[in-house]
Amino acid sequence: MMDRDKLAEYLTPIIFGASLILSWEAIVRLFHIPLYIIPPPSAILVQYVRNIHRIWDYTLVTGMETIVGFGVSILLGVPLSMLVAFSPLMRRTFYPLAVTLEMVPKIVFAPIFVTWFGFGFLPKILIVFLVCFFPILLNGILAFTSLSLDLTRFCLSTGAGPLRTFIKVRLPAALPQLFVGIKGAAVNATVGATIAEWIGGDAGLGYYVQIASGDLRMDIAFAIIIMLAALGLLLFWSVVLAERWLIPWHVSQRTTHGLVS
Amino acid sequence: MSVAVSITGVSKTYRSKAGEVSALDPIDLAIAPGSFVSLVGPSGCGKSTLLLMVAGLLARSSGEILVDGRPVEGPETDIGIVFQGNVLVDWRSALDNVLLQIEMRGQDRARYKERALSLLASVGLKDFTGRLPHELSGGMQQRTAFCRALIHDPPLILMDEPLGALDAMTREQLRGDLERLLMQNPKTVLFVTHSIEEAVQLSDEVVVISPRPGRIVRRVKLDLPRPRDLHLRQSPEFQGIVAEIKEIFLSYGLI
Repeated sequence: MMDRDKLAEYLTPIIFGASLILSWEAIVRLFHIPLYIIPPPSAILVQYVRNIHRIWDYTLVTGMETIVGFGVSILLGVPLSMLVAFSPLMRRTFYPLAVTLEMVPKIVFAPIFVTWFGFGFLPKILIVFLVCFFPILLNGILAFTSLSLDLTRFCLSTGAGPLRTFIKVRLPAALPQLFVGIKGAAVNATVGATIAEWIGGDAGLGYYVQIASGDLRMDIAFAIIIMLAALGLLLFWSVVLAERWLIPWHVSQRTTHGLVS
Repeated sequence: MSVAVSITGVSKTYRSKAGEVSALDPIDLAIAPGSFVSLVGPSGCGKSTLLLMVAGLLARSSGEILVDGRPVEGPETDIGIVFQGNVLVDWRSALDNVLLQIEMRGQDRARYKERALSLLASVGLKDFTGRLPHELSGGMQQRTAFCRALIHDPPLILMDEPLGALDAMTREQLRGDLERLLMQNPKTVLFVTHSIEEAVQLSDEVVVISPRPGRIVRRVKLDLPRPRDLHLRQSPEFQGIVAEIKEIFLSYGLI
């Protein structure tokens, strides 16, 4: 039998969520709020079921854009952050360029990419990549440059070469901070994909929600928003699971509410 | 007589906005093989600087250092090193932290596993070899660091205030552990501390360093029997030596 604490841990968010949805339904009905302003949850559910095929097809489109752009940003961001951390030349050339680029709101590239690459998959991936890349780069640089001085000295005293030092000490020591960047990127990823579709797409949840809200079909729009939330959560929790698996020893993985268990 | 570490005219000056700042005046010191030598002095006197220069981890401004007859020109690798902050890695158990020394040297860890376990057992960590650093107390972590400095059986051990971050009672326990460990594994040791009691308990020779810029103001040879237990430490002879060194710091207005 589950003990009371465990039961409370699982039940509390469920009860909270259910009462939120019920109050929403009640308030919308009670005050006769029109459908095109705020739809009740029941209407959202109806539209979700009615448009299920289109919603799922578009979820796959947006999901693919998100995952590919996010994946590429990790595959490029982590090695580049290593290069910036260890190469003075990269620090003087590539790094200022990346910072300058980061200062530009990435959305402005969306119409430009549409002009260059059309309405397809590629411009969306590029936008996702741009919004994910910088948090990974910045945290990666911090991760690879913050080994304590004494630990660095210990490594030197063993006579180990740079490669062995990297594999045995620097890389594992960098993982917690790398994950800070990857989690930040995961949060940005669906935002990037949705906005890219919004600005220049012919498929995907961002494209669909734009059409639905343009038609004042808020019930459909909210049904799409549910899928966007699910997509974002799925990505974020995948990263959190990877983190638990890779760095179970880190303080972030054993702290709950400030109490180390 | 052979010399394990020979320090001749070694000094350190730092460049700053105000010009050159001297951290350490030229030092001459010879350490005999198998002896335990402490550098005692106030904060900022350059004692840690000297230790790092012996380790080849910090460039000297002048002079020459020979370790086992060879000049120090870069990081020395035939040494074991212990710092104040424990430098165990978070993701490895106590045993694996000790064996990190072996892996970093590209040697076969299986060959050293028994030795690592017996070293850990000799400092009371027999039941903790599989624990991660966060599951160990500060004293246990530092005991593990001692074992890591000894596992590859280096002739020279360098220790930079290894007990400095621990509470008073743990420090006292670890002094005893360290003394026993070194009686079982005789080494040449250069030990940096600001605790006079600690230096007198552990050393064959205490080298007293003046406030910045550091220079040697007294060398006190100790010929007390080991282990230097509580009884011995309360003896007039032991207390007399401690008082003698305290007098020196008193004359500098430090205590």
